Amino acid sequence: MSAPVADAAEAPAAGKPATSGGWRARVVTPQLPWRVVFIVVLALGLLAPFVLDPAFRLPLFTKYLCYAIVGVGIALAWGHGGMLTLGQGLFVGLGGYSMGMYLKLHEAGPGNVPDFMSWSGVEKLPAFWEPFRNPVVAIIGVIVLPIIVATVLGLLVFRQRVRGAYFAILTQALTAAFVILLIGQQGYTGGTNGLTNFGSFFGINLFEANGQRKLYFVTAGVLLVIFLLLRLVVASRFGRLLLAIRDGEDRVRFLGYDPTVIKTIAFAISAVTASVGGALIVPVVGIINPGMLDIVPSIELVIAVAVGGRYSLAGAVIGAVVVNWARTNFSEDYPSGWTYFQGALFIGVIAFLPRGIAGIVPQVRDGVPVLLKRLGITLPTRSGPPGGPPAAPPPGGAPVLIPGQGTPEAKEAV
Amino acid sequence: MTTEVDIPAPPPAGGSGEALLAVRGLRVVFDGFVAIGGIDFTVNRGELRFLIGPNGAGKTTLVDVITGLTKPAAGSVTFGGVELVGRREYRIVKLGIGRTFQTATVFEDLTVLENIDLAASFRMAVPKLFLRRRGVTDAVAQVLETTQLAELADRKAGVLSHGQRQWLEIGMLLAQDPQLLLLDEPVAGMTKDERERTGLLLQQIAAERTVVVIEHDMEFLRRFASVVTVLHEGKVLTEGTVAEVQADPRVQEVYLGRKKEDAAAGSAAVLGLEATP
Repeated sequence: MSAPVADAAEAPAAGKPATSGGWRARVVTPQLPWRVVFIVVLALGLLAPFVLDPAFRLPLFTKYLCYAIVGVGIALAWGHGGMLTLGQGLFVGLGGYSMGMYLKLHEAGPGNVPDFMSWSGVEKLPAFWEPFRNPVVAIIGVIVLPIIVATVLGLLVFRQRVRGAYFAILTQALTAAFVILLIGQQGYTGGTNGLTNFGSFFGINLFEANGQRKLYFVTAGVLLVIFLLLRLVVASRFGRLLLAIRDGEDRVRFLGYDPTVIKTIAFAISAVTASVGGALIVPVVGIINPGMLDIVPSIELVIAVAVGGRYSLAGAVIGAVVVNWARTNFSEDYPSGWTYFQGALFIGVIAFLPRGIAGIVPQVRDGVPVLLKRLGITLPTRSGPPGGPPAAPPPGGAPVLIPGQGTPEAKEAV
Repeated sequence: MTTEVDIPAPPPAGGSGEALLAVRGLRVVFDGFVAIGGIDFTVNRGELRFLIGPNGAGKTTLVDVITGLTKPAAGSVTFGGVELVGRREYRIVKLGIGRTFQTATVFEDLTVLENIDLAASFRMAVPKLFLRRRGVTDAVAQVLETTQLAELADRKAGVLSHGQRQWLEIGMLLAQDPQLLLLDEPVAGMTKDERERTGLLLQQIAAERTVVVIEHDMEFLRRFASVVTVLHEGKVLTEGTVAEVQADPRVQEVYLGRKKEDAAAGSAAVLGLEATP
């Protein structure tokens, strides 16, 4: 009934590095490998625009990063909050069209209507287009529109305790409705063709190699900022509460919290990230159209996050980059094979790697001792004298006994 | 919040005499089945009240209604004069009522400390929740101390034993700092040692708060209960001290009758009624 013996035995061992202090204790922490990986990734990210071909490979890579921005939002809503959102395309679209409208008006010049409108016989700029002449309004739109839509939707839906598959279907239906609206209003939205023909993005010339590099740095910078911000969210009480709601929403009510509010905020955050990703993808690929935010691309975003690891923000980034990179390369050789491969990949991950690529390390760490035990092999480090301190820390947590100094969240998120 | 180690004497049978929780004419119907058929039930401030009764008597349903989980067909529940019926669960918690569940539900992916910290932070404004938790507040540290979970603070709650989970749940309840605690079978499935510890913990808690405990274990009842309310088939059968209730022939009939019908339930044996004439 008392605490396991192991705890008492580990206490002095765990206290030692902390009390001896010095730089070594601060640098050599359980997170060290992850920090090294993070720095290496940052360095590679800085090199990428000078290695990749700015006319072809670099814009593709920038596009993957846009998906990664959407992906971290999905990881927050789905992985942490348990809200499977199959309709992020709706928010990608809100951001993408806000940005597209501004770029289109900028292209058309003051007083003119965008080219596709005059082809449809629309001679006067519709009122809802007018504010997007102003770049500041466009950027505010990218952030505020998804918040409004997600908040209204969240408050209505989560209050009624709509969850799981019903929530997923609802988000999907809304996305489908949005796409139908866009296609139907040819004269106002560009219809199936969407908005295209942009030459510049806030002064960045999109036809130049250097312009593509700048665009890459803008995108990578936004991804980095959003990633770090969401890591803070995940590590905060809010993040813990979100996990609690995912695992026991009804119990959380009896803790005195209103899950509706918490879920709505998390959903709105994921909507904003999707919108920002959507806004950035417009200059990168040079177009925004309904096909980019339909149900299928929305589901593909979720698949990428599942492959990378939905419980981890870094996993979402990995998934978005790896899956989309694989898609590009695979499609170059076997144009029609990708869909099957993607399906197989998704099934494979669900079956064998429920925590995705990001879960491989912990899965191996936890799984190898079990496997060895099953094979009858005892690890020398674990076969200490009976009653002695175990050599390996228990899986899933560092043996830190000072309250508040534990770091499970740091390990999980990177 | 108490951290006193000395165990206070059991509170006087009637508490302070001022009604804190008043249930009047309560009826609960599930698809035509009458789970509670008109209950009047009062708990005074400072009382430690035990609620017993055979399976299906409506004990948990009563707690569910008080905490807003179940909507009654008729009747009222007031807490310090405030009507609770129709309020949402989290609002009732904010009024100062906390509960535990028959099967301890803690958040397994969070550490023991995080579980308690979340329970303690529910009055925090939402924007403040985004700040990272720095260290441990005094209140949380005290709860860890009271429930003797301090050594396990940084373990995931998923690795706790059954008894430890129950204590964690009681600890989370303490961290909420409610005026009224409703505990649903807090010692079910515990070893004798664990039951003893839980009982002492309860007495300690009851010294400063009002506590209602649903419990079957007669030994536990005799040791720790002052006032017992017996429910049967959705009605209050009787109310009194442990000895009074045990001596009541109606209570014996309810439990012993059950026993003949359904030996597996074994409620009577647990109640220890064979031992009493």
